[in-house]
Amino acid sequence: MRVAGPVVRALAATGRFGLFSSRFIRVMFQHRPPFRRALDEAYRIGVQSLPVLLTIAAFVGTNLTMQGYHAFKPMGGEKMVGMFVGLAGVRELAPIIAAAMIAAKVGTEMASRIAVMRIREEIDALSVMAVNPHWYLVTPRLMATILVLPALTVLSIYGMLVASYGVAVYQLGLNGQEFLDFLQRGATVTDLAYGAMKSLVFGTIICLVSCYCGFYSKPGPRGVGSATNSAVVTSAVVCVMVNYIISELVYGR
Amino acid sequence: MSLFAKAGHFGHFSWQVICRFVTLRWSVDTTLQHLSQTLFRCFLPVIAVVLPFGMVIALQGLEVFHLFGAERLLASLASVAIIRELSPVLASVLVAAQGGSANTAELGSMATEEELAATKVMGLDPIKLHVVPRVIAMTVACPILNVAGTTAGIGGAFFTAVYVKGENAGIFIDQLWEYTTPFDITAAFIKTAVFGLIIGLVSTYLGYYAKGGAAGVGKAVNSTVVNSILLFIAANYLLTSAMFGAMS
Repeated sequence: MRVAGPVVRALAATGRFGLFSSRFIRVMFQHRPPFRRALDEAYRIGVQSLPVLLTIAAFVGTNLTMQGYHAFKPMGGEKMVGMFVGLAGVRELAPIIAAAMIAAKVGTEMASRIAVMRIREEIDALSVMAVNPHWYLVTPRLMATILVLPALTVLSIYGMLVASYGVAVYQLGLNGQEFLDFLQRGATVTDLAYGAMKSLVFGTIICLVSCYCGFYSKPGPRGVGSATNSAVVTSAVVCVMVNYIISELVYGR
Repeated sequence: MSLFAKAGHFGHFSWQVICRFVTLRWSVDTTLQHLSQTLFRCFLPVIAVVLPFGMVIALQGLEVFHLFGAERLLASLASVAIIRELSPVLASVLVAAQGGSANTAELGSMATEEELAATKVMGLDPIKLHVVPRVIAMTVACPILNVAGTTAGIGGAFFTAVYVKGENAGIFIDQLWEYTTPFDITAAFIKTAVFGLIIGLVSTYLGYYAKGGAAGVGKAVNSTVVNSILLFIAANYLLTSAMFGAMS
């Protein structure tokens, strides 16, 4: 039984998560979508996490360029740095780091807010007042995430490219034009579109997982802490796994 | 609090931790306990993130090298990318998300339930009891988890290259250490230890000064994850410039 316990618990959690998500879809059709609250959330998610996201993206770009330079240098291929940044950065690293940062910044905030509402019995109060808590809490957040995340991802890709151009030209002394030429061989506008598409999937995952973790939080400060904790870890892990599947489908053939 | 005041406050806190570390006022038992807890907590998430990423690297790399007919280079470049950069960063992100936030949640609930104040009233030192072991454990755990992550990442790349894309396994293993130097591995250890130190200090600082009940703990956990990732990625750039810039 000692082995079966965690397995059963994981299965039960998966089922509960499925029910949570499907209830959300039902709510979508039953009520008028909460546009105003969605816009508020979109402001909080989009505008307030943009500085953090751009900073992280810039540092990812600088590191990628440095590492690519030192990796290709022994082969005499310093020019390939642009292509390396395009392939590794634009296609994979920037979308996934953006998703991880959104999970860290926005997902934890969602989880902790909803968890605090849960332990103060505000969610029960909502149901008592005949306001569907899913409609009031989850729907606007999901709408906002879907609205904002592709834009955030594309912006962070651009932030990363600007930073890596800066490092390549001013720190490593490469030719700027050559860098851009090779960059376009590694990544095209289609890749940006794929990145935005990927981020839609990541956004849905992050939002649903974080809201779920907050919704079923355990009581007390410890409960809120661990709900926040599991929100970010679970959504990051699921995003990276889904990322492999998407990459395999898009680039694998 | 303004940004500078906060930075100074954090610096003072870190200084207190370092003083207690240097003067050996910490218990080895508690540190080991926290170490095993952190390793146990973070092991699966680290593997679950770095392994698929290694697979993606192999996928993308093969597509490019296919253009030049240089598929045999895949293993060496994948190992360089994973050992130098991807595994340290991704493993540390996960350690910050899992271990760091757990630290903050524990210390934060102690702070808001006034357990830390009670410790002080009893004449004990809360920093010595609760903070220093956690910081040391985090600093030690991060490089160990990075080793696990690197192994998993290279394993993932191997799996995709050999079993999904049908490359030759012998060539992959033969090329694995072509461009990787022992210095890369040392650098990865140094980097992840610094990242672990940053995560440990930030997470304990924000937990130690958490205020305002459950909502305050939630907010502290949130800012732990964001701030520690921000700080160590910035530190990563400086470290990379310092260590690899000198070589060229």
